[in-house]
Amino acid sequence: MAKQYVMVIQASKCIGCQACTVACKFQNEVPEGQYRTKSPAVGPTGTYPNVKLYFEKEACQMCKNAPCVAVCPTKASYHNEDGVVLVDSNKCVGCKYCMTACPYDARFINEETGAADKCSFCYEHRVSQGEKPACVSTCVGGALSFGDLNDPNSDVKKLLDKYKAEVRKPEFGTHPNVYYIYEGVK
Amino acid sequence: MDITWGALASHEIAWGGIIAFYLFLAGVAGGAFLTAALTDLFSKNRQLKVIRAGAYIAPVAIIIGLAMLVVDLGKPFSFWKLLLYVNFHSVMSIGVFIISIFTAFAVVYAYLVWMAAAAEKRIKITLAGQEMAAAKATGMQVLRKPVALLGSLSALGTATYTGFLLSAVTTNGLWHVNFLGIEGIPFLPILFLVSAISAGLAATLIGAVDCSDLTAYKKADIVLLAIEIILLAILYTSVKAAFFSGGMATLFWLGVVVVGLLLPLVLAIYGVSTHKNLVLPVCGMVVIGGLCLRYFVVYSGQLFK
Repeated sequence: MAKQYVMVIQASKCIGCQACTVACKFQNEVPEGQYRTKSPAVGPTGTYPNVKLYFEKEACQMCKNAPCVAVCPTKASYHNEDGVVLVDSNKCVGCKYCMTACPYDARFINEETGAADKCSFCYEHRVSQGEKPACVSTCVGGALSFGDLNDPNSDVKKLLDKYKAEVRKPEFGTHPNVYYIYEGVK
Repeated sequence: MDITWGALASHEIAWGGIIAFYLFLAGVAGGAFLTAALTDLFSKNRQLKVIRAGAYIAPVAIIIGLAMLVVDLGKPFSFWKLLLYVNFHSVMSIGVFIISIFTAFAVVYAYLVWMAAAAEKRIKITLAGQEMAAAKATGMQVLRKPVALLGSLSALGTATYTGFLLSAVTTNGLWHVNFLGIEGIPFLPILFLVSAISAGLAATLIGAVDCSDLTAYKKADIVLLAIEIILLAILYTSVKAAFFSGGMATLFWLGVVVVGLLLPLVLAIYGVSTHKNLVLPVCGMVVIGGLCLRYFVVYSGQLFK
């Protein structure tokens, strides 16, 4: 059975330590000043005694209906056999059409290769070897979970059954594979 | 909100001024070609200066545009992969072939027009060369009408494509808007086609400014400007107001509306047949307006998506 890899992010467990940001830089050798993932602060909002601040991990949302894949003129952006959106940097010419199409600003032109770049769920170097993505492995607060949604025993399946999860910008009909649980922070 | 903890959420513009200028040049090239080719095919008193101006502007504009497009790529030297790897679901991939075909037609047509012009000149200069030049010219000139006709189709395709390129981005509120809300009829291809013909015609008339009678072209220009005003009014009511805000407000109201449409429309109606010296300012403003329109649509769509 085909896999459906998803990431579940529990905002209430994130302390904003940025270990994920750094681990991604280690793993993927992302050029300075560029990021495959970032976790900026949202807030603080409200006034005492209702002040709120949380962190929202931003990266490729691994859409099932990916606008970037649809517009790519060379098929450099594609879904692999496990539904992960990847970029073939050899086929990519750097036209940036995908960047105009992505509603999550997840993509950038890698300064060194000139090709479009983004989060790959660490597919090539880790996930295909049975490991979890670098950000998930390193997460201090246990805010990040990763696994196959088609596996009933996976962490992600259990979390999504238990909690109310959201996807970012559902109005675009992109059907992301990255879910956010805001219980306790919103 | 400028908290930088975890890196500032940056909203970089993927397509900037180079792409806006390329879309403008592709439009001008398509419009200029159509002006020349349609004159060549259907006009009884074929205005040679108009045909020549349009025929020469088209290849120059499209080739400069394509060069800018290649320079803007993250990997300029791999542009040929656009021809090798094809995705028929991608408007850009289809556009690559439309524009390539148009460029070929534009170059061939310009060559044919230039050859006829050169032959004409030679005939005037030497009587001895007359026969040879005439024979050489007519041999190739049989191609001229088919090239003008097929080239016109590819010019229409190119001008419309620049709109489809943006309207295919389904996640963009300005680019993806439908014509009067009708599902399946995207707005931008219509707007860009009208604007392209208008700007291409204007650029051609600048090149043929000392021509004796341009009344028919000026009338066409007035009609196109009026249609564009109506289209922009429709656009204004179809999308959220934010797209016309901030720095984009000045560009839209001053550049696109006042300089690009209202002023030239008033001046053109005022001096449609009498004032020959109005051609340059009117056409100049129309061309500038066309450029402003591309900048506005490209930037505003990304800034406020």
